[in-house]
Amino acid sequence: MEPNGQQFHVVGSRVPRVDALEKVTGRARYTADVHLPGLLYGVFVRSPYAHARITRIDVSKARALPGVMAVMTQQDLTEDQALVIQEEVHATRRVLNLFATDKVTYQGQKIAAIAAVSREIAEDAVRLVEVEYDPLPAYIDPRDAAKPETTMIYDDRQPVIGPHGETLHNVAGESHHQIGDVDQGFRDADRIFEDTYIVHRAHQTYIEPQSCIAEVGPDGKVTVWSSTQGHFAVRANISSSLGIPLSQINSIGMTIGGGFGAKFGGIIDTYAVLLAQKTRRPVKIVYTREEEFLDARPAPGAVITIKTGVTHDGTITARQAFALWDPGIGSGGCGATGRIQGVYSIPNVKWDAYDIHTNKPAPGAYRAPGAPQATFASESQLNRIAHELGIDPVELRLKNMREGDQVDFKATLKAVADHVGWWQREHDTGPNQGWGVAVGEWTNGAGPGAAVVSIHEDGSVSVFSGLMDITGTDSAMAVIAAEVLGVEYQRVKVIRGDTDSAPYATASGGSVITFSMGNAVLRAAEEARERILALAAEQFAVPVDRLELRDGQVVDRDHPENAMSLAEAARLGMRTIGGPIVGRGAFAAQPSATTIAAQIAKVEVNPDTGQVRLLKYVGSLDVGRAIYALGVEGQMEGGAVQGFSWGLMEQMQYAIDGRNANPNLLDYRIPTAMDVPYVESVLVEVPTKNGPFGCKGVGEPPIAPGIAVVAGAIHDAIGVWCNEAPITPERVVMACQERKDGVRG
Amino acid sequence: MRPFEYCAPSTVTEALSLLREYGDRARPLAGGTDLLIFMQSGRVQPDYVVDLTRIAALKGIAYDPAQGLKLGALTSMREVELAPAIRAHYPALAASTFELAGVQVRNMATIGGNTCNASPAADTIPPLMALDAVAVIAGTTGERRVPYTELFQGPGKTALKRDELLASIDLPPPSSRTGSHYIKLAVRKAMDIAIVGVAASVTLDDGLVQDCRIALGAVGPTVIRAHEAEQLLRGKPLEDATLKAVAKAAQAAAKPITDQRGSAAYRTMMVGVLVPQALRQAAMAAQRTE
Repeated sequence: MEPNGQQFHVVGSRVPRVDALEKVTGRARYTADVHLPGLLYGVFVRSPYAHARITRIDVSKARALPGVMAVMTQQDLTEDQALVIQEEVHATRRVLNLFATDKVTYQGQKIAAIAAVSREIAEDAVRLVEVEYDPLPAYIDPRDAAKPETTMIYDDRQPVIGPHGETLHNVAGESHHQIGDVDQGFRDADRIFEDTYIVHRAHQTYIEPQSCIAEVGPDGKVTVWSSTQGHFAVRANISSSLGIPLSQINSIGMTIGGGFGAKFGGIIDTYAVLLAQKTRRPVKIVYTREEEFLDARPAPGAVITIKTGVTHDGTITARQAFALWDPGIGSGGCGATGRIQGVYSIPNVKWDAYDIHTNKPAPGAYRAPGAPQATFASESQLNRIAHELGIDPVELRLKNMREGDQVDFKATLKAVADHVGWWQREHDTGPNQGWGVAVGEWTNGAGPGAAVVSIHEDGSVSVFSGLMDITGTDSAMAVIAAEVLGVEYQRVKVIRGDTDSAPYATASGGSVITFSMGNAVLRAAEEARERILALAAEQFAVPVDRLELRDGQVVDRDHPENAMSLAEAARLGMRTIGGPIVGRGAFAAQPSATTIAAQIAKVEVNPDTGQVRLLKYVGSLDVGRAIYALGVEGQMEGGAVQGFSWGLMEQMQYAIDGRNANPNLLDYRIPTAMDVPYVESVLVEVPTKNGPFGCKGVGEPPIAPGIAVVAGAIHDAIGVWCNEAPITPERVVMACQERKDGVRG
Repeated sequence: MRPFEYCAPSTVTEALSLLREYGDRARPLAGGTDLLIFMQSGRVQPDYVVDLTRIAALKGIAYDPAQGLKLGALTSMREVELAPAIRAHYPALAASTFELAGVQVRNMATIGGNTCNASPAADTIPPLMALDAVAVIAGTTGERRVPYTELFQGPGKTALKRDELLASIDLPPPSSRTGSHYIKLAVRKAMDIAIVGVAASVTLDDGLVQDCRIALGAVGPTVIRAHEAEQLLRGKPLEDATLKAVAKAAQAAAKPITDQRGSAAYRTMMVGVLVPQALRQAAMAAQRTE
């Protein structure tokens, strides 16, 4: 029995994933596994320069190469064809040229697309395309690109006047907000802290690269197979980019090997369609890992200066931030500066934030977009304030945390602190060891989606929708249907339809799926349940409210001899006017509740070399209700690893000429199994009103606090603050050196 | 990857004649963990790939307390890592193989390939240099022996000619009261490239350093010996003051660059940190042999 009186038979249980067998046996079909007769291979001609004028493009030699079926540049497009990327989950929309014409603004920018009968021939053709460049100076640091003496990366951009009257160049976007009066807040403070935090760009490093196949039928109808978080989003992007009616596109979502926000389409699918239209043959494009680093959509970097006023007892009186984000040639980032408010009651808050163009690819979403960067600044500084005031960092947070309906931030933080023995940690701390804590907040979004639940004549259940499972959500849907219908989890099949067959489903991002699609499946299962109950009530001639569904049966509570299996009910339904048992459910949006991920790390630092070893990493999360508990824990562990690895090793590096210096997984480091300690997850369940069974979105929050957590632990271990992430061994040593040289506190 | 002709000779003589015939157009293939990556990226585009893995004479580990160690160039890193004689008598070499890439790569990669690839950051070259290894090079006119200190000419460049093969690596027998150690500085615990690699070999005599060798990786165009640093230590006890001077001399020998793995300044600092540590560890290993 649950505390609130609800009793569950499947929700919260630890069952295997519905797709476990096909994945561990290698039978799951990914996009690159699709082979079609007459398949062509698509590749790109890319700029070797980060910033240059193009003086000449000549594709004639490439076109003449035997085996080359198409070479396309911007010249082959109509005026209205442009790359339109709409991402409903994070409410973004970008319109870009498909190919560079007179100017390239980042290394790897697409200049032409080639389709050939083999990948080798296509690559040979790339070398035959003649492009002449007139290189320009590249900007790689937003602080440099914003200076008034720079030229504009986009010729039509106008200078912007910043909050202190300074002139800012290359501004791609702005975010300003004010709550209360920060000047008064700082006057009310006993102490004011001001620090600058730098976070570099990180790539989502999904293991399966961007992959897509497009085919165009004789009627012009387009079929697309892709590795995507939302095949409906792919359909919409292709339609608006190339002017193809929605009804003429069928988008098929294949099993996905990771996305983390970067797979809402628009990077290669549009080009595959263009090449397929041109050649009338199916075209496959699969990125190499190098292309991933040169021309995908990574997380933006940020330089955030944050100022916080506190009283002697640790009450926060004001918080202000000035931030320059690094969205490359795109935009989207600076709005996340608002997360400096955290989950605290701060009466006076103000931020002024800018996206500054640099010569790097446009950014995309990466799990809780912008939160790890902003949280590094706000939570790291909070750790410094706690240290300076001599207040325990957990206590300082508890003192300032907001309270409210459907949230319990304090309980979540206390849960992880208690779990690690935070209050007795001095007994468990060796030389050069230290502990760090931080919290990250997130509120899941919601999106439209519908589902159909069918009861088959053997009593098994299928759930059909356009849901793209990226994280185990299919298993959560099976749990929800099984719970409502009183059947075993193993009796539920979850089927994904393509955009021609399935009702609309929101893309899988923004932590929306279990909340939104879960509600659709819940409603569909409830409708099927009502039908079953009505059929049985008529059969037994008893009131509906005496019946219940359990163990695969409809049973009369008062007369248990009145029982009917789900299989019998399904067959009974087929003999009625109403026909087979089907339930439909749909959902769009309802308010959701904020959650926090609270994490604690224990590290050991080698003060001579700067190497940091994670000894322990524990996270708690208010999940509302863990519907599919193993999946929830998987999200918590995965998010924690991505968070601390951004904190310790992940950085897209750029040379002074703007070229990517580590476009491979050898030098763009993500942790190996040997670098990850035992990650423990503590589930806190404060149910919400609108999530199915009270769930909250859990996918994104666990990445948010990681950088601040490791920074805090490193300080606790050796007494230096590292304000630039990732905190590599070199940065630790240099921070120690600076302290020794008296450069800073 | 560009098309190429694949040859699989079964003897050294046959392999050498193929290399002689094809010259610059051919590349020998051992474990392939470097060559195939270069071929895939287009950095190397051979017309002929001469697969050496069927030549039994190039494989195997032979240890004799009087003769020393003979490592066939085609011996896998994993075999080197697991060989009891190497763990017992050449601990720096064993340590370096354990730190190299991951197990799957070590099953394929060869000890000779790591040398011939001649990366300044190669993990096994500093210990081989510190252990006074000699490269036995087979050519059409016979064998020649080149000490590791003279083998490397630049990144990816060795003294081997196009029609020569590294046949084996010979290490002298371990002297008594001698120990060695290798320290790799990297961010990850596996699958990483050294930011700095330091190998040291120390022979003790009555508490004094009778002899020592220090080799530094990833701080110059080739792996280098820090001769002047070694000279400062010979005949002296392993004390802090001495080690400080030795570290300083090693730093002076290092000529690192700044790249994506680390700045020149950090690398130089780390030479100063790691050289004394490697020497102390080597000395501890030496004491254990007494």
